Amino acid sequence: MPLIDMPEFAGDLLEEFETRRTVRVNTPVIQPAEPFLDMAGEDLRRRIFLTESETGASLCLRPEFTIPVCLRHIETATGTPKRYSYLGEVFRQRREGSHEFYQAGIEDLGETDVASADARAIADAAGILSRLLPGRALTLTLGDQAVFEAVVKALGLPLGWQKRLIQAFGDMAHLEALLERLARPQPVAGLNSEIADLVTSGSEDELVARIDRTMQETGYSTNASRSPTEIARRLKEKLTLAETKLDGSALLLLREFLTLRLPLSEASAALAGFADAAGLKLGSAIAQFDARLAALSNIGVDLSSMTYRAAFGRPLDYYTGLVFEVTEAEASAVLAGGGRFDRLLTLLGATDHIPAVGFSLWLDRIEMARASR
Amino acid sequence: MKTLTLALPSKGRIKEDTAAIFARAGLTILAIGNDRSYRGRIDGMDGVEIAYLSASEIARELASGAVDFGVTGEDLVREGMAGVDEKVEFCARLGFGQADVVVAVPEIWLDVETMADLGDVAADFRARHGRRLAIATKYWRLTQQFFSRQHGIQLYRIVESLGATEGAPAAGQADIIVDITSTGSTLKANHLKILSDGVILKSQACLVRARKAEHDADPRVEQIVRAVRSVTGGTDD
Repeated sequence: MPLIDMPEFAGDLLEEFETRRTVRVNTPVIQPAEPFLDMAGEDLRRRIFLTESETGASLCLRPEFTIPVCLRHIETATGTPKRYSYLGEVFRQRREGSHEFYQAGIEDLGETDVASADARAIADAAGILSRLLPGRALTLTLGDQAVFEAVVKALGLPLGWQKRLIQAFGDMAHLEALLERLARPQPVAGLNSEIADLVTSGSEDELVARIDRTMQETGYSTNASRSPTEIARRLKEKLTLAETKLDGSALLLLREFLTLRLPLSEASAALAGFADAAGLKLGSAIAQFDARLAALSNIGVDLSSMTYRAAFGRPLDYYTGLVFEVTEAEASAVLAGGGRFDRLLTLLGATDHIPAVGFSLWLDRIEMARASR
Repeated sequence: MKTLTLALPSKGRIKEDTAAIFARAGLTILAIGNDRSYRGRIDGMDGVEIAYLSASEIARELASGAVDFGVTGEDLVREGMAGVDEKVEFCARLGFGQADVVVAVPEIWLDVETMADLGDVAADFRARHGRRLAIATKYWRLTQQFFSRQHGIQLYRIVESLGATEGAPAAGQADIIVDITSTGSTLKANHLKILSDGVILKSQACLVRARKAEHDADPRVEQIVRAVRSVTGGTDD
């Protein structure tokens, strides 16, 4: 690795990683592009540097470390728990800033004590940043997808609607559009009367047979991805979901929840109060939220300096619970971002369920923050 | 004054239609050398050169600023560059080459009529089929903008398709397509339907100007734009 252009605080970082008992790993700069596009979605395509191998395989310059570190973990099959750290260059097409810059971070894989692992990730990120930016006011914002999921579930919405809302969590515009649909249900359009009759008469077999027949006739069956049964069931579900209406008070509750933003030390009481006032049972999600706070307090983290924001999430399906980011107070540039991604390793091909939490540090922004003092 | 370059389509209906519009606008195009030459000029206008290029090359040359004006499809221009409205100006819509860039799904997907339906299907796709929903298209930028930014759909994969895209779902190369259509008959023949809110762009041939500072002081730029607009009745919308 070319040490010459590394940030001058790289030594401090490596020292921190060692004290925090991590194993430093490196991954190739040139990576297969598929896993990134598969996990993060096509939106990433315009932000990464894509190329092709001679045999036509799609490759990219490493745009981040989490996926390569997880893939490496799966390949080397060295068992869990593992605490990995990394420090190296990543490559992204950005409007501002350089296209190649350093990132460092910790990925904590396979720790089953979720609350402690979450707390440690937060404490590690905050601790390292306060060493690199001594005396600076840093703001840590925390969100929890599991709490949102519990609220949505407690409102008694059908599963299909729960999925839609959870899928959109973290994307406020999309979420608002969904809430609008829940407030004013629209009838399903575009269905011909023969099919509509089959759906309402309730004979799924007939509907499936009808779809299958058309598929055969049109030569679509051979390579069809969605089966007649899948289409028939979703059609039925869609008609049910289209009639779902969330009454004004429930919508108000959901909106009220999404506006919650307060010091982490007050979050527990506020969530309990919200659940009480709303008559919602948030059960284990709150218990886990509280356990995380207790674990944070145990290792000496000051909760009053951190913020809980109920609407904070990332709209990607591998994030599961905790998300957090650190900025300088009054600034918007994210210096560290992290979260829990319990679904990622199985999506990447791990055979066992491996809980995972981690964070990455944007070293170029940290460097700028250090220079601006 | 610097030579202005106008890039015009080098073949087909769009070439003839362009020549007709320019002639009506009083900008008669003369070939340099013989009829099959790929260079031309405008009768009575000095320092303006015509370069005949393929429609997709014109979009690329506009993006790089290698030409000053181009006539090509709006779809190709919008697909060909990021930050399109900062880089080029759509000066006039020429009223031909109409085609829509649309999202089309198998007709038999009776449960999918809107982008929201497609969002539901995409969200579940991996769990059901072990892979993301696959979209065959040559318009990856337009697709990504429409799906990700306008409809909040992140979970899908683009399969690049450079021709016969309508056949991709039946052939099993992709689940759905994003493609251009003018009459919809090819879609219909391949048992595909356009989603009710699935029109990404209503495209047509446009006179497009690469935004360059030196154009401000160049009267010929204004003259060309005004002449073409006078016969299309169009401005930039």
